[in-house]
Amino acid sequence: MANSNILGPARSRVDGPLKVTGYAKYAVEFEIPKCAYAWPVESNIAKGKITAIDIKAAQTSPGVLAVLTHQNASKMADAKGLFEEFAEAHGEDMSQGIRNEQRAPLADDEIHYAGQYVALVVAQTIEQARHAASLVRVSYAPELPILTMEDASKAKKPKKKQDETIQLRKGNVEPALANQNIIRLHETYSTPTETHNPIETSGTIAAWEGDDKLTVWDSTQFVKGVQSILARSYGLKIENVRVICPFVGGAFGCKGALWPHVLLATMAARATRVPVKFHLPRKAMFTGTGHRTPTSQTISLAATSNGKLQAIKHVTGTLTSPVGEFVEVCGARSTGVMYASETIRVEETVYPVNVATPTFMRAPGECPGVYALECALDELSYLLQMDPVELRLMNHAANHPIRDVPFSAKHLKEAYQLGAEKFGWSKRNPQTGQMRDGNLLVGWGMATATYPAHKMSAAAKAILHVDGRATVQCATHDLGTGAYTAFTQISSEQLGVPFEQVTFELGKSDYPFGPVAGGSNSTGTVGTAIHEVAQLLHRALAELAVKDARSPLHGSRPNDIAMVAPGRIALRKNPVTSDSFTDILQRAGRDSITVESELKDPEENEKLAFQSWGAHFCEVKIDSLLPRVQVTRVVSVMNCGRIVNAKTARSQIIGGVVMGIGMALTEETAYDPKTGLPAIANLADYHVPTNADVPPIEVYFVGEPDYAFNPIGARGMGEIGITGIAAAVANAVYHATGKRVRDLPITPDKLI
Amino acid sequence: MNPFDYSRPPDWQAAVNSVATDAQAKFLGGGTNLIDLMKMGVETPDRLVDINRLPLAQVEELPGNTGIRIGALVRNSDLAEHPLITARYPVLSEALLSGASPQLRNLATTGGNLLQRTRCYYFYDPAFPMCNKRNPGSGCGALEGYNRIHAILGQSEQCIATHPSDMCVALAMLDAVVRVQGPAGERAIPIANFHRLPGITPNVDTNLQTNELITAVDLPAIPFATRSHYLKVRDRASYAFALVSVAAALELENGMIKSARIALGGVAHKPWRAAKAEQALAGKKVEAAAFSAAADAELAAAKGYQYNSFKIELAKRAIVQALTTVAALP
Ligand SMILES: Cc1cc2nc3c(=O)[nH]c(=O)nc-3n(C[C@H](O)[C@H](O)[C@H](O)COP(=O)(O)OP(=O)(O)OC[C@H]3O[C@@H](n4cnc5c(N)ncnc54)[C@H](O)[C@@H]3O)c2cc1C
Repeated sequence: MANSNILGPARSRVDGPLKVTGYAKYAVEFEIPKCAYAWPVESNIAKGKITAIDIKAAQTSPGVLAVLTHQNASKMADAKGLFEEFAEAHGEDMSQGIRNEQRAPLADDEIHYAGQYVALVVAQTIEQARHAASLVRVSYAPELPILTMEDASKAKKPKKKQDETIQLRKGNVEPALANQNIIRLHETYSTPTETHNPIETSGTIAAWEGDDKLTVWDSTQFVKGVQSILARSYGLKIENVRVICPFVGGAFGCKGALWPHVLLATMAARATRVPVKFHLPRKAMFTGTGHRTPTSQTISLAATSNGKLQAIKHVTGTLTSPVGEFVEVCGARSTGVMYASETIRVEETVYPVNVATPTFMRAPGECPGVYALECALDELSYLLQMDPVELRLMNHAANHPIRDVPFSAKHLKEAYQLGAEKFGWSKRNPQTGQMRDGNLLVGWGMATATYPAHKMSAAAKAILHVDGRATVQCATHDLGTGAYTAFTQISSEQLGVPFEQVTFELGKSDYPFGPVAGGSNSTGTVGTAIHEVAQLLHRALAELAVKDARSPLHGSRPNDIAMVAPGRIALRKNPVTSDSFTDILQRAGRDSITVESELKDPEENEKLAFQSWGAHFCEVKIDSLLPRVQVTRVVSVMNCGRIVNAKTARSQIIGGVVMGIGMALTEETAYDPKTGLPAIANLADYHVPTNADVPPIEVYFVGEPDYAFNPIGARGMGEIGITGIAAAVANAVYHATGKRVRDLPITPDKLI
Repeated sequence: MNPFDYSRPPDWQAAVNSVATDAQAKFLGGGTNLIDLMKMGVETPDRLVDINRLPLAQVEELPGNTGIRIGALVRNSDLAEHPLITARYPVLSEALLSGASPQLRNLATTGGNLLQRTRCYYFYDPAFPMCNKRNPGSGCGALEGYNRIHAILGQSEQCIATHPSDMCVALAMLDAVVRVQGPAGERAIPIANFHRLPGITPNVDTNLQTNELITAVDLPAIPFATRSHYLKVRDRASYAFALVSVAAALELENGMIKSARIALGGVAHKPWRAAKAEQALAGKKVEAAAFSAAADAELAAAKGYQYNSFKIELAKRAIVQALTTVAALP
């Protein structure tokens, strides 16, 4: 049952006062003397070649310092060769940062998608740059673009890495799927292009010192990745590239890998010899920083009449751009782990189209993948006339279905149970269209949530001051998630220093390595580094103490000493013999002591499988005449190991649920079917949920700390909240109306 | 955004004069639409004539109980909450409050709302090469494009854009009169003649001359408008333009409909007065069948496109629902 020892204190954000007073400085808010401003010119054709660019009017427009195009960029930036070399290097290592597009911006005259940058105007003010950009005249030789999955699947497939079929297999699904004597289902679910739309649009300020030192203020999920890519791109020493990003105003994956605007800012600053700020307009966020690919997912299920799954087959089609590398892996890490089916098969084909490059978006793969699978499970429950929760319990997987090792600290059954209880699921009428609230149809739906536990490598530095304060540093990130607060809490607990006395610093490449803030890995990964640096700190204090004749620990062996209580180290076997951190430093005449942990590969435990779980229950109300779906209630129960901060963790789950409601009901980046330009490219037309769309959301956590996974016991929970919620909503809509909409978002037109 | 001059004249004469002597000048109201369009490069005025200091922010009763006058600078939020409006024209208050967001309504003016331009994607973003409204003769990108939010009534092959305002739908139903001042003096334009259908000149939204300043909107006295309602169907619960909307009022007598007033939003290039539905209802009993028949009559001429055909059925249902609601009002 819900285990109170998993819930850490509900601390308010340490950076909260800075944020509400406006003192939190975001990357593009740094005031750099002499900074110039960049404004992009984007292609309005989806495929073809640039035949001419007339930049005369722009160049002579007031305040303009430079107009970069493919014709002059290499000379001015002097980096084209390096970019190309870089592009050829295959299979980049995540720890070094990746570029979403291998092609360097302004590399040549080729147009691969509408919205591609074709020129960059740099001027003294942003208004001057914006106006001059409107004066650039680009002529194209357009070619017929491929814009949809349908067209791409008909076209000749280019021999590309993107075009591989990803497969996962357990046994042979086909016999069960062909067996007419058991219950079978075969349906296709589709999701549209969705765009991240953090409130802080992406942006970069680049400042060169000579030709070999570069400082970049960049809104990013990965300062060390940006540092590494820029160093490699320009052939600079790594320590000569500094990346600064103390705050991020939301990211959701669109600031994870590096986009062309970062390179353009550095190229422009190099060309003009002044610092350049390139802060993307909202519209560019729809083509320049990725989106979630649309998906088409066909799920085939076979089950015995008592509901035991015999086969799950999940066949997905997704898209990428001609210059994109990212693949939205829809089934492997969700359908491949979710249920104890006799046989499983997961396949995916990625089609290149002339549409802007997709990327990671909150729970990439799992989010659309779980949506499709969990809708199919719901459909199966009706075929079986079985309660949807019961069907899931029947197929519960204690072991990883493919690797056949036990899941660590899995408490999904409790999540179903607690969720059902809190929601009042037992009062559900299993028939569709039967529950009412006055004139409104009422529907109840549920779905499972899941997300893998990822770990990466990180290092940390700890500085303990003689007055008892501690500073801990890591080049990690706070995307608005509460990471500052969680890391302050973990530092306090691991170091043994009161919360109020700890300062946690992040967002600078000067600090020890922090991995990309992605895959819900940060709390566990950086938490592990903090755990390690705390051990080093206690060891260093022990070494000082044993040499000090005035210490009660004098003459002991450092190996026999550990922290026993906050602020004190002692003999493990006889904790009464102890000494305080501050006394040790004081007597040694030290102002402070500094230790830094080592960056090493994370320890893998092959005997267990690590995955987070959860269950969403939701209620919708729908006017049958004017059928807009209103979600009126959500209960979400999560099993993510230890929860470091009950308050910020709850916010993460709520945020995931809200984003999932958007996915289910309103969000879609539609494109013009002829030109391939996004028709929806602003926040008036891209409908994220408003407050009026968001119901009361109850969040509960169950389980136990997962110490087999890491010493913090936390599996991370930034993404799991969005998985499954769209299915829970869609399933509730079916329960209310008897109409199964398999094509998101479920807008009123689809229910008429 | 192109460079432009800015001035803030002290009175309406000076304001009209500034615009009359400069064909590229534009009045600046709340700026919530104009500035947006300037940033997109759709509007490129060389001068903004800021009218925010003109004394046009009053709501007052017209003499002899003949109606209400709304100054052109009355903010949407103030108008929506004004006691004369909530008491006598609830439909207008509801329409205003269903539009945009509180922040936008705090800035948006009555005059600016009348003149807000279409949200057609092909108009709003000059990256699209085709738009007869923005660039006459270039074609209509929406006709065979992503036309989910587009018109089903009164459109032409040249343009299938819709007028996006909620306020104007209520004004159309209420037979409002737009008062304007120009170099040639004052004139009054009935709301039905204010906005235009696209025809072959979709670049001309309204019958207002570019050098004319809207000073006020008059609402005639309509006693039965106390029994009125605005219904807006949209994709999310708040802060979205209408897929379809209905402003309706019923004059009832002994369970019979003496007269009906209906206007539709989200379906046409102008707020659409549903005359056929009104005729169909006159003299009928208050009952669901009459409402459906009226809705069918109005939408008989509707034409949908690839992505917006659903609006025809949606509009019918919305009319029925709005009339049902109005009929049940005390
Ligand atoms: C994100 C967003 C969502 C919105 N949602 C809705 C919605 O749901 N429903 C809805 O109805 N509206 C909506 N709106 C539109 C909003 O109502 C309009 O932008 C607003 O009413 C325009 O008023 P304004 O005073 O700001 O006009 P401005 O932008 O100042 O001006 C608009 C035009 O009117 C002209 N003008 C202004 N005043 C006068 C005058 N007195 N005489 C002559 N010409 C004048 C200007 O020159 C300009 O051409 C939305 C807007 C935004 C940005």
